[in-house]
Amino acid sequence: MDTLNQQQIDSIEQGPLGRTTNRDDKPARTHTGRLKEFFERKFSNSAVLFGVVPIGTSLGRWVSKIIALPQLRKLATGEVPWAPLRKPVSESTVVLLSTGGVHLRSDRPFNLNGDPTFRMIPKDALQADLTISHQAYDKTDALRDINLVFPIERLRELEAECVIGRLAEEHYGFGLMGSAKRLMPSIKEVARRIRKSGVDLALLVPA
Amino acid sequence: MALALVKEVAVAANAPRFLYLHWPFGHALGEPGNLAQQRTVLHDMLSMAALAPRPGLVIELPYRWRRESYPSVRDWATPSEAVVSAVSL
Repeated sequence: MDTLNQQQIDSIEQGPLGRTTNRDDKPARTHTGRLKEFFERKFSNSAVLFGVVPIGTSLGRWVSKIIALPQLRKLATGEVPWAPLRKPVSESTVVLLSTGGVHLRSDRPFNLNGDPTFRMIPKDALQADLTISHQAYDKTDALRDINLVFPIERLRELEAECVIGRLAEEHYGFGLMGSAKRLMPSIKEVARRIRKSGVDLALLVPA
Repeated sequence: MALALVKEVAVAANAPRFLYLHWPFGHALGEPGNLAQQRTVLHDMLSMAALAPRPGLVIELPYRWRRESYPSVRDWATPSEAVVSAVSL
């Protein structure tokens, strides 16, 4: 596969919304926006609870903790599973999984009140082919740029640049599901498919 | 290799590799159209995948929401500074 040359890489990084990089080696710090950052963290990007009640970011985090933590304390015990990467990343096959409710427009939407199923997304899916059905986070930005919750375009670029060896043919999306137990059959099926397809590295992105 | 937006959940999950970002839900890779930011996060993920010395690590990335500029990732083969410094602690 041809590697992108530096000019092509630079044009990718400028992006459709204008120049987004600086050319210094270190991140440049902008001047104070602490108050603005505080409000954006606490109140904007609201999720909608039960489809009706707008909740700020802080309450959203609290809700996610009270749902997840008791289940994890029961389920995530014992030895941590560990599979060291056996090849360089540049030779590895990568699969992408998202819990942001991403799926093909042509596919059945996720049930917004909770859905234990998964959707398959092909590696060449374009932004226009994809949509999101999820109501527990503000998906406005993700609908503008799907890479925020499902970075398939970025990974296709990295495959073209030979940063990763290969993108798997099939990738997976999950919707909102508060019960880990109900999700388990889908998790096991996706794990089986990933293992069968010879993937080396799975990248998991949350909602 | 997983991203997390709620640190306590990442720690409790007891998973092999987690990167935690103090960013809003729906923005695990950053801001719409900010390719350099998204590529930076992917570089951190790939670096941790290659470099994590043991399971169960949750590395907190230092990027402040909407208050950073991100340089281009020039050398993908070299692990990211954020991951190297966290792993060597």
